Amino acid sequence: MKAREAEVFDLGYQRYTGPREGRNRARLALFENGVRTVLGIGRGGRAKILPVGLFLAVITPAAVFVTILAFLDPIAGDDASQFIPGPADYYSIVSVILIIFGAIMAPELLCPDRRDNVLPLYLVRPLTSNDYLIARFLAFFAIVLVLVYAGQIVLQAGLILTAGDQVDYIRDNWQDVPRILFMGVLIATFISVGPLAVAAFTTRRAYAAAFVIAAWLLLNSISDGLTFQECTFETVAEDGRITSSSEDCTRPVGDLAPYVGLLNLGGVTDNLNNMVFDVDVEPGQGSPSSMAVAELHDAFPIGVYVLWTGIPALLLWHRYRRIRL
Amino acid sequence: MPALLEARNLTKHYGSTVALDGVSFDVHEGVTGLLGPNGAGKSTAMKLFLGLIQPTSGSAMLLGEEPYRSTEGRARIGYMPENDCLPKSMTASEFLMHMAQVSGIPPGQARTRAADVLRHVGLDEERYRPIGEYSTGMKQRVKLAQAIVHDPVLVLLDEPTAGLDPDGRQEMLRLIHRTANTFGISVMLSTHLMGDVERTADSVIVLESGVLAQEGAVAKLTEETETLLIEVADRHEEFVTALAAKGVQASDDGQLLIVEQAREADYDLIRDAAVESGARIRRLSPERRTLTDIFRSRPA
Repeated sequence: MKAREAEVFDLGYQRYTGPREGRNRARLALFENGVRTVLGIGRGGRAKILPVGLFLAVITPAAVFVTILAFLDPIAGDDASQFIPGPADYYSIVSVILIIFGAIMAPELLCPDRRDNVLPLYLVRPLTSNDYLIARFLAFFAIVLVLVYAGQIVLQAGLILTAGDQVDYIRDNWQDVPRILFMGVLIATFISVGPLAVAAFTTRRAYAAAFVIAAWLLLNSISDGLTFQECTFETVAEDGRITSSSEDCTRPVGDLAPYVGLLNLGGVTDNLNNMVFDVDVEPGQGSPSSMAVAELHDAFPIGVYVLWTGIPALLLWHRYRRIRL
Repeated sequence: MPALLEARNLTKHYGSTVALDGVSFDVHEGVTGLLGPNGAGKSTAMKLFLGLIQPTSGSAMLLGEEPYRSTEGRARIGYMPENDCLPKSMTASEFLMHMAQVSGIPPGQARTRAADVLRHVGLDEERYRPIGEYSTGMKQRVKLAQAIVHDPVLVLLDEPTAGLDPDGRQEMLRLIHRTANTFGISVMLSTHLMGDVERTADSVIVLESGVLAQEGAVAKLTEETETLLIEVADRHEEFVTALAAKGVQASDDGQLLIVEQAREADYDLIRDAAVESGARIRRLSPERRTLTDIFRSRPA
């Protein structure tokens, strides 16, 4: 059989006759692009260092606790789990890492689009500025949610596997699952919306990240400093015997301390976490501001959470509604 | 045939500044030039048709819809802005695929469209390089590619030759011509360069200080005038004398003889004058006006 030579034909420009999926496809494309941008997918190795590093940082405490549990289990038996932090403590432990993750990664989603003027290219397509914002928010929210759940999943898996009777453990602690899920959503919302709102006002990622971290440090320092409780003990002794003693505790801002404690950014989700997991803040446990806030009615921490998520969300929406293209 | 774009008493104010003042015009299939000096209202008109801004009064209709209120029509148009608008860290291939999807094309087809369109704009070899490493000319081609990757009915180009060197400009004008004539995509080209409009456009809309100054087919505006241009190879003086003897008044600019208000019979008289004087005619043609001439002669 005679072999035929291959030929390349230039078909020229072809009109597109396939499906057009409109606005929903556009929203999904923006969401996917947001996830890829934050995780550094499709970019060089350097773009992946930060997300992978921060992801490992959130998982590591859980892995360490489970490892400790595995060593303690043969010695302490079923009581071993009492020696390590549980699901109620985990979010507080990793909240610093989550704040840093939010501060650094959220600007990646908004700042480059405005700095490089890509935004008009999106908004002349079948998208509105609300579609753009919602897709970007959901992309970041989804990543943070996976991040906050990942550590808890590792911890729960360790606690179940090291329990003497797994079925008993699950039956006794099943309430933790909806609490973890619910609290994860609250934390992911808080971590996403604030840094995104800050990123909406600058084209420089570093400025946005620095502002969030500085605000977090400053507000935490101020609120903890002003709510720190100093106690003095007075004792009355007669004939070498203590007959009475009294404790006098004061705070720099006096009775305003519980309200000043609400300023603590780290405490916004910690206070809700204590409520969701039904944890009583004992004197000497937790930060000064969280102890002060514990004196208030539950409506206050809830209100503060709503303000710290609602106001940035409104600012974000307003900013993109008024943006000049 | 319904208009692709319709402006009706279109007005846009920015505070006390009037960017567009009650302009009305239609844009049909083919290449339309939107011409005018800086600040004439060209970019404002484009943004109104794209739905990026809302008119103060009047209407800007895109494919029969109000683009500010409806996103349907926006899936069928493309836009190439004047300014930089490309993400530096993405490759051209990835960016075009993403933009095709944002225009509603499913991922599989978006990949094919991105590769095809990049080949058509001459970036086949460079498509996996980050856009930040591209030259100005290459970036302009990516900007055009993202505007047509979803095969729109109409593409709006805002100063597409801005910042390009002469070769880059020729290449861009060639691409615009291909976009309209080979790809079958109608083009609205906003520019302050009359040469770009003359080279590529079928019709022109002229804006000046926010009002419609002129509109019509480019061929009609630049149609032949009643002026004849004559160039002779030799015996220049004798030819001029012969022309004068036959009653044909020609002004001499040193190289060309210009006969104003020429009649049909003047062609025969010019031929006879050439025979009598022994001059060899190198060129005899009616003058064709350029858009530049038209705007120079317009009253201020």
